[in-house]
Amino acid sequence: MEWVIWLIPLLPFIGFLLNVFVIRRERPAGLVASGLVAASFVVAVIAIAALSGLPEEERRIMSVSWHWINTGELRVPFGIMLDPLTAVMVLLVSGVGALIHVYSIGYMHGDPRVVRYFAYLNLFITMMLFLVMGNNMLMLFLGWEGVGLCSFLLIGFWFERAEASAAAVKAFVVNRIGDAAFILGMLAIYANFKTLNFYEVSVGGQLQPGFLERVPEIIGRTVGPTWQPIALTTLISFLLLIGATGKSAQFPLFVWLPDAMAGPTPVSALIHAATMVTGGVYMMTRNEALFAASPATQSWVLWIGVLTAFIAGTSAIAQWDIKRVLAYSTVSQLGFMVAACGMGAYVAAIFHLLTHGIFKALLFLGAGSVIHGTHETQDMRKMGGLRKAMPATCWTYLVGAGALAGIVPLAGFWSKDEILAHALSHDHWPQLIILFLTSLITAFYMGRQVALIFFGQQRDSHYHPHESGRVMTVPLIVLAIGAIIGGAINLPWGHWLTDWLKPVLHEEAGTFNLALALIATASAVGMSYLGWWIYTSNAKKIKVGGKDPAYRYSGDIWDGLEEAWYFDRLYQRAIVRPFQRLGDFLASVFDPQGIDGLVLGVGVLFGRAGEQVRRFQSGYVRTYALIFTVGVVIVLGFVLMFSR
Amino acid sequence: MDNFPILSLILWLPALGALGLLLVPRENAELARRVALIVALLTFLVSLALPFGYNAAPGDATTMHFVENLPWLPMFGASYSLGIDGVSLWLVLLTTFLLPIVILSTWDSVHTQVRNFQILMLLLATAMIGVFISLDLLLFYIFWEFTLIPMTLLIGIWGGSNRIYAARKFFLYTFSGSVLMLVAIIGLYVLHRDALAASQPGYAGSFNFSTILANLRSGALQLDTTVERLLFGAFFLAFAIKVPLWPFHTWLPDAHVEAPTAGSVILAGVLLKLGSYGLIRFNLSLFPEASRWAAPAVAILAVIGIIYGAIVAFAQSDMKKLVAYSSVSHMGFIVLGIFALNPEGVSGAILQSINHGLSTGALFLIVGVLYERRHTRDMAEYGGIWKVMPIYAGITLLVALSSAGLPGLNGFIGEYTIMQGAFLAPELSWPFLSFAVLGVVLAAVYLLRMYQNVFMGDLRNLKNQELSDLNLRELATLTALCVPIIALGLYPAFAFGPMQASVGETLAGIVTAVAGR
Repeated sequence: MEWVIWLIPLLPFIGFLLNVFVIRRERPAGLVASGLVAASFVVAVIAIAALSGLPEEERRIMSVSWHWINTGELRVPFGIMLDPLTAVMVLLVSGVGALIHVYSIGYMHGDPRVVRYFAYLNLFITMMLFLVMGNNMLMLFLGWEGVGLCSFLLIGFWFERAEASAAAVKAFVVNRIGDAAFILGMLAIYANFKTLNFYEVSVGGQLQPGFLERVPEIIGRTVGPTWQPIALTTLISFLLLIGATGKSAQFPLFVWLPDAMAGPTPVSALIHAATMVTGGVYMMTRNEALFAASPATQSWVLWIGVLTAFIAGTSAIAQWDIKRVLAYSTVSQLGFMVAACGMGAYVAAIFHLLTHGIFKALLFLGAGSVIHGTHETQDMRKMGGLRKAMPATCWTYLVGAGALAGIVPLAGFWSKDEILAHALSHDHWPQLIILFLTSLITAFYMGRQVALIFFGQQRDSHYHPHESGRVMTVPLIVLAIGAIIGGAINLPWGHWLTDWLKPVLHEEAGTFNLALALIATASAVGMSYLGWWIYTSNAKKIKVGGKDPAYRYSGDIWDGLEEAWYFDRLYQRAIVRPFQRLGDFLASVFDPQGIDGLVLGVGVLFGRAGEQVRRFQSGYVRTYALIFTVGVVIVLGFVLMFSR
Repeated sequence: MDNFPILSLILWLPALGALGLLLVPRENAELARRVALIVALLTFLVSLALPFGYNAAPGDATTMHFVENLPWLPMFGASYSLGIDGVSLWLVLLTTFLLPIVILSTWDSVHTQVRNFQILMLLLATAMIGVFISLDLLLFYIFWEFTLIPMTLLIGIWGGSNRIYAARKFFLYTFSGSVLMLVAIIGLYVLHRDALAASQPGYAGSFNFSTILANLRSGALQLDTTVERLLFGAFFLAFAIKVPLWPFHTWLPDAHVEAPTAGSVILAGVLLKLGSYGLIRFNLSLFPEASRWAAPAVAILAVIGIIYGAIVAFAQSDMKKLVAYSSVSHMGFIVLGIFALNPEGVSGAILQSINHGLSTGALFLIVGVLYERRHTRDMAEYGGIWKVMPIYAGITLLVALSSAGLPGLNGFIGEYTIMQGAFLAPELSWPFLSFAVLGVVLAAVYLLRMYQNVFMGDLRNLKNQELSDLNLRELATLTALCVPIIALGLYPAFAFGPMQASVGETLAGIVTAVAGR
């Protein structure tokens, strides 16, 4: 019966095939796509119910279809698995995915390429499920790059817009940089363990080993020159970390995510907030054994997470585009998750991943509803006062904002608190302070955003705002309920999630720190109010082209924050342009004149030699006779010597 | 059926078709195309019997299959001797598979002297198949050189504006490389004859590959280190130019840019593989010690080629030139895999040879589709093509991603296996791979840049607004290429299976060389 778990990724894949080859009209496309993802969710629930019926240590269902790569010693099965960690990811992906599919029916209504949209969305769900279900690194990588492809397709969905196509290519290429490191990491894993399987698996009757259980074997091995040996565990986990910084949009590779907002808003919700970008966090959690074996890498993970959280959080403050605020906020929250991984608090990372997946999807879909209801307005300076026209959107958005700001008892509070409490109880003081500051900033920019969108007066009267239809508001309400009660899965008193993940992560529940929780909540409420207050009391001064009200307090730093610390410009100048110059130089100077010049030079040399030889063709028979005789003598002598 | 000369049939069928085409009136282009297509399809169908008849059972003592052996020039010991193993099996199939596709594509791309074009194409097919299945060194050499003539004519007659220059460069460059190989073949023959004549007086010598290999392995023929390295070098040069390995690549962009679409497909799809095939068949088998000696140096050239080709491809504005330089990069991967000198690397290189033939062949066809419509390959002329030609754009994306090595498609399997092989090779490992993986990033950079420039963005050029999507013929050729692209990505074990024993046999000398250290 193990094969049943194949249904989970295959059902959306069938939807993809149908939408590509069979369906041509909008209505059946949306229904088939949503229905099959929902069916996948149902199958997942059933499979997970069966999984929870197993004894704790046996909770791992594996199913292998065939040998994927099978040459020399290299053996990689095409197989998937379901274990407690995968289970929670599958529920998030197919559950939130199904809601976003339904929402898309309303949001994408009337788009000329809507059938293709649903095909891409289905393919994305398939690939994301492969990512979280793969039973070896290469299967994970199949999903990993597959979701990258879907992200490319969906960011570039409106490819007529130059910025959308540029953003799509940028996303794929930046991810590829991480992927190259990931590949190198896989090569090293295989070379040292002779397997890419996470756990032992039986393929066609043969047992193949898994590497996660055997990590201790390589502890102590080093590579590199003798004067600077590097621990193998550090090298491998560091390469995987680079891979994660690409996919999960961490410093220094986070620059693609804000641009990715050029895609349709439901895509931003699904791919660039709730699921795909969490792939890196999932991968690090899955390979926890490797990371835990290298304290050096772990401190890099921690600091990358902390820095990303802070940089992106501060950038989110200064954005005017409704989606870019959420994009930077996503990067920042992913930083929290990565930091949690770096501290070894993997359960907290997954907990935050789940709650964030719900409330950030809610916020993005809410933003989509606002954009939809204001006739494609994305600039918050043109909004204001939408509370009255869009009550359902407004209230659900407030829930999401509260959850993100970390206000008790919403879902985000519990998960963020778990990360902060872990930092506190393990004496990561500098990191704790930065993360705490970041959570204050988070509360501030959410207060600012809510004020700008929903409060005050409408600042641009060129459109008449309207509430979105039921097909869009119902998913919002479902997600809002999730954002309210989602924290319940790992309350400090119940810690159900910790127990559920214990067979995989072997973690004990962290301690709850009441003082920290109180301070965090009080300051979150305070900062949210501050943000709300500044932007409602100055609402009249806000206009396109004008300065932000907070500019008065921050000065020119504000410009830097708006440009996200100028990372894009740095990369443009330090990497992209030099690379283009190098390419032009090689292509138009070095290759034709250097290498080919050498070749042609040799040609000319032979041509000259030919000119000389031509002189012998004088037409005089006596010259020919002489040359002929000499030749015969030489050949005869050669033959005699050679054949002795 | 055991003795049925199936290889001879596959080999001579296209040539017979070319003869038959001579009977077709010169001006009847349609008939010429149809006859050629039927011959090509027939050849492909017959060749399908090869993988099914191929006995890959482990423990099978015979290394060569479908062997045919007839005396040819007995006084020199040259014979008409054919056979295939797991190395050449898929390459033969790639050739026979691409042939009908290429001929089908000429309906849209060749409009002058159609009959002669088809004749040359069929002759070229015979020559290429001959290279892959000859077991006699002299026969091999004749087929090897014979591939040059039709290809040169294809470029020189049906090529672009600068075709004479490109054709001459192609001919002289690759020919000068192979002349040294002829010297090496004769040298090897003489050495072999003399070594055996010591024990068997009056031995006429042999050009038979299997015989020479067996005598090398048994010690009956011993090469001293310098001679082995010289012979290795002579063979290597010929193959390295053909591959082309950096820095011997400059004939390739010229040839591709000037060649007609069908010529480019065959050039990239099969002719370059003659080089990688030769490296595996001759250099690795015959000169294991020298291969080990040269491996790090060759691998450095390969890695330079991977990165260099990719960077230069990035800077191109001509789509065909971009694809041509991408070949330099991809073939670098193949050479890297070969000189990993282990089963993973070599089998990956063979698979990647097939993959490159499929993907790059498809890319050239794709460029040809646009060229036929607009008569320019300059990317700046395009933009937003996705809107008017959605099916074409979809197939292009699939092929480009296969070329860029997206998992689930064929290119990734080959690249990954090659990289794993090179990583496992003790002489290569970290330093080489740290650079080689950059090729993976750069492939995405230049291919997606092309994709963005041509297919995405606004449809700003008015001339492109009326472009029609693929016609049935184009759709058929490209779909036929997409099938193995996906199949090999999901189930490459099918292709890897028959290779195992042969690759092991090829590397046997190297394994003993390692053990002997």
